[in-house]
Amino acid sequence: MTTYVYGIARDERADPAGPAEPEPHELPEGLTGVGDPPRPVRVVGGGGLTAVVSDCPDRLRPKRRDLLAHQRVLAEVGRWSTVLPMRFGSVSDSDEKVRAVLAEHAERYREQLDRLTGRVEYNVKAVHREEVVLHLVLAGNAELRALAAANRASGGGSYEERLRFGELVAHGVREREVRDAALVEDSLRPLAEECRPGPESAGWFVNLSFLLTRPAAERLLTTAAGLEKAHPQLDLKVHGPLPPYSFVTP
Amino acid sequence: MSVVPAQQSGGAGGTSGLYDVLELVLDRGLVIDAFVRVSLVGIEILKIDIRVVVASVDTYLRFAEACNRLDLEAGPNRSPGLPDLVGEVTESGARGKAKGALSGAAQTVTDALGQAREKGESRVRRATGSRKDKEESE
Repeated sequence: MTTYVYGIARDERADPAGPAEPEPHELPEGLTGVGDPPRPVRVVGGGGLTAVVSDCPDRLRPKRRDLLAHQRVLAEVGRWSTVLPMRFGSVSDSDEKVRAVLAEHAERYREQLDRLTGRVEYNVKAVHREEVVLHLVLAGNAELRALAAANRASGGGSYEERLRFGELVAHGVREREVRDAALVEDSLRPLAEECRPGPESAGWFVNLSFLLTRPAAERLLTTAAGLEKAHPQLDLKVHGPLPPYSFVTP
Repeated sequence: MSVVPAQQSGGAGGTSGLYDVLELVLDRGLVIDAFVRVSLVGIEILKIDIRVVVASVDTYLRFAEACNRLDLEAGPNRSPGLPDLVGEVTESGARGKAKGALSGAAQTVTDALGQAREKGESRVRRATGSRKDKEESE
């Protein structure tokens, strides 16, 4: 039976005299993780640290259900302690091996836990509200407005005219994306201790992760809301508090 | 703005916020050499049904049609679908930063590229804000 590892936290109760396992009741009751049926989550201690683990189902694959289970376990654990989140799919041969790894690199993990104590990650994604951004692009460009009027007067314009016009509009929208990406980043970055671009994914022109203290997180939310109010073309999705996925180092 | 608390305890909907940040679990987080990593081959790409703009004919035509329907007499602030702000929002946080940036409709975008810092990332961009339901496949 292999062991699936979700993350690493401090073992607050660690007795220097021996490898005391933390009391399981520190975990939310009935917390389950990956697998079908979901495997119960437990803890494995070593080196004054705790690994949050479960049994690993055979042939674990990156199914949506299991990805979400990984997230959920870390979110729950993050409520009561600082945790170094593992990347999805980290599997150890055994609990023993987990203990050995914790003991071997205890210093390094403790340093990271110290650095991240009291801090959370927030991820911010931005898209444009299409109608509003098109409005802005046209409003800011007399040539485009003239073209739009001409097309409208001739029943929408010929295929080529519409294509040409649409291309110019798309260019204007892209310019606005670049500009608004800078606006969002410049407004939010000063509130954070660290900022990292999120993994590449299609569909947004901003995907940034911020490392924040909890008071700063409040300011982030307020600032994001204010940005949307001042710039109705912006649609911001703010996710958090999250375990500091983007701010752990091997 | 949608603020998505990630740490709701249990219950349905507790994962809605997590869904949008799944890419973090796949791409970030601690990697320890001593542990095996599950192969991500065959990963169910988390399809979020969005219309990706790879500068295409379809996009151009769609924009043309959308612009054709726009009422340019109305200010952009009168457009539907404005955000519902979450909770009591004081603007003081953003006011200082937003001043002198963009405001309202009479903006020119000619100098936008000059001002903006290029990230040098080749990202697929899209220009639509409409996110449909995510495809469920399990």
